[in-house]
Amino acid sequence: MIQVQNLVKRYGDFCAVDHLSFSVEEGEILGFLGPNGAGKSTTMNMLTGYLSATEGDVLINGHNIYEEPELAKRDIGYLPEIPPVYPEMRVKEYLSFAAELKGLTGNRRREAVASVMEAARITHMKDRLIRHLSKGYRQRTGLAQALLGNPKVIILDEPTVGLDPAQIIEMRELIRRLAKEHTVILSSHILFEVNEVCDRILIINHGKKVVIDTPSAIVSMLGGTEGVHLCVKASTEQAERIFSRIPEVDRFVLETREEDREGFVRYEVLAKPEKDVCEPLFYAFANAQLPIYEMRPISRSLEEVFIAMTAEENNASNL
Amino acid sequence: MRAIYKKELKGYFTSFLGYLFLAFLLFFVGIYQYLYNFVHEYANFAYAVNAVATFFVLLVPILTMRVLAEERRQKTDQLIYTAPVSITKIILGKYLALVSVFAVGILVICIYPLILKNYGNTNLHIAYSTILAFFLLGCTYLAIGMFISALTESQVFAAVMTFLVILLTWLIDLVIEMLPTDHQTAYFVLLGCAALIAVLLYVLMKNVIFSVFTFLAGGASLTVILFAKPTLLDGSLERVFGWLSLLERFNIFRYGIFQGSAYFYYLTLTFLFVFLTVQAIKKRRWE
Repeated sequence: MIQVQNLVKRYGDFCAVDHLSFSVEEGEILGFLGPNGAGKSTTMNMLTGYLSATEGDVLINGHNIYEEPELAKRDIGYLPEIPPVYPEMRVKEYLSFAAELKGLTGNRRREAVASVMEAARITHMKDRLIRHLSKGYRQRTGLAQALLGNPKVIILDEPTVGLDPAQIIEMRELIRRLAKEHTVILSSHILFEVNEVCDRILIINHGKKVVIDTPSAIVSMLGGTEGVHLCVKASTEQAERIFSRIPEVDRFVLETREEDREGFVRYEVLAKPEKDVCEPLFYAFANAQLPIYEMRPISRSLEEVFIAMTAEENNASNL
Repeated sequence: MRAIYKKELKGYFTSFLGYLFLAFLLFFVGIYQYLYNFVHEYANFAYAVNAVATFFVLLVPILTMRVLAEERRQKTDQLIYTAPVSITKIILGKYLALVSVFAVGILVICIYPLILKNYGNTNLHIAYSTILAFFLLGCTYLAIGMFISALTESQVFAAVMTFLVILLTWLIDLVIEMLPTDHQTAYFVLLGCAALIAVLLYVLMKNVIFSVFTFLAGGASLTVILFAKPTLLDGSLERVFGWLSLLERFNIFRYGIFQGSAYFYYLTLTFLFVFLTVQAIKKRRWE
């Protein structure tokens, strides 16, 4: 449905998007993840034909966005980061205008406007001036605009920013419903959210693709090794002597902090693949009469994966 | 294109801008009509229209300042430029809406000569050919204003720049009168213009070779003319800067001198600035 090939966007010497390639299948929800300034919005603006690419191509349903813009744009509904609404217009008036802009006329337009207002739950606001709407309702009006004409591809840039928790849940449900009939790309910097709704995740950093895969595959990619955070009343020599005697321990990292009390040490202990270190550690330290004050399993969430992956990228680019 | 046109037109008449523009326009026309035709008892309505032309400097920015700058500022341009409508059609829709608001005023102005006709002899030919020239002059200024609005996201900046540019188009007549007519000064000034164009081209296109080539080609042809036929450069400054004089072409209409070339001149300039507006919008996507 969507093919992105070697997309590059340069602003002078600065490369905002760097040779990005990916494709999205029909009916799929792709989450677009990256720290602020990673090039998410720039990429989305290129996908929708708002910005042109320095190099590369974007195909929407087989149409090149730069060579056949009018055909390609017909299949896209776009909600940019800031909803593109006119404050001086009324909700229904605005949607009628957007519908006509997308080539809907007469009865089809009236029906389309009514159905998107229903989908975005703003029917009761239809005669309000957009200027007087809250951020949440503006966001929904913008979303309703993106749904007009039932486009095959829906692109949402940070759709839940500025919404309250109830609205966020509602928006997520709406996105899930949309995915039944549409291909959806949504960007976010909230990992939980992307994890919730997306079939696949594309992580980018500094405009480069870091990884694209299903959420669970991405987690297992880095989450292969299990381990614990450990705090014991011992010296570093004592603790490390015990670690070296336990066969399940793969490696350990000292992470004692300044605020820790005198005589306490803190470690991150990682187990060998498929092994558990909790019990051996407990018995070993108990036998050595060294009390454990804290033992906490390391959980590899998408969050940590994300930080680890983007950090690797940062280190690599600093070298 | 229709969607944009309708939305824009509606926008001018739901906000106060359209009314403000029309009120000022008709206010000035009314005052000068009263002054020339009733107080001084000239039988020529063209004098009144001619006097109002100076007020474009205030009128045009009212209408054009927000036309593209505001879309950009509130990011609604992301809606219209990602819609399945070409940028040319969007700009045309916007421009036609501007012209339509102005045309409403022109329609009212068209009634004046008929009223005057009731009170005695007045030359309707002069009156209507001047009104047409006035309309086309206004259309040219609106196109220039729209182009300036495409370059910025600040309405205030667009308004001030449009004000200054229109002011410049009537100051240029004074400048032309003061220009030296000898060929040597003309050579150096035109050389300077070639350099300016080259720099401008470089800023727009970032192509050093093309800019240098433009400058060298312009400079070389000027030099050839200077040595081969220097008389060609005599008074050339006046002619070159005369191309930029919008008002001079308009001023002669009131004397009953009909000039079809002036209509053509305004239409060309209008087309040029609408085209430049489209290019400016397209170019911004590439930056």
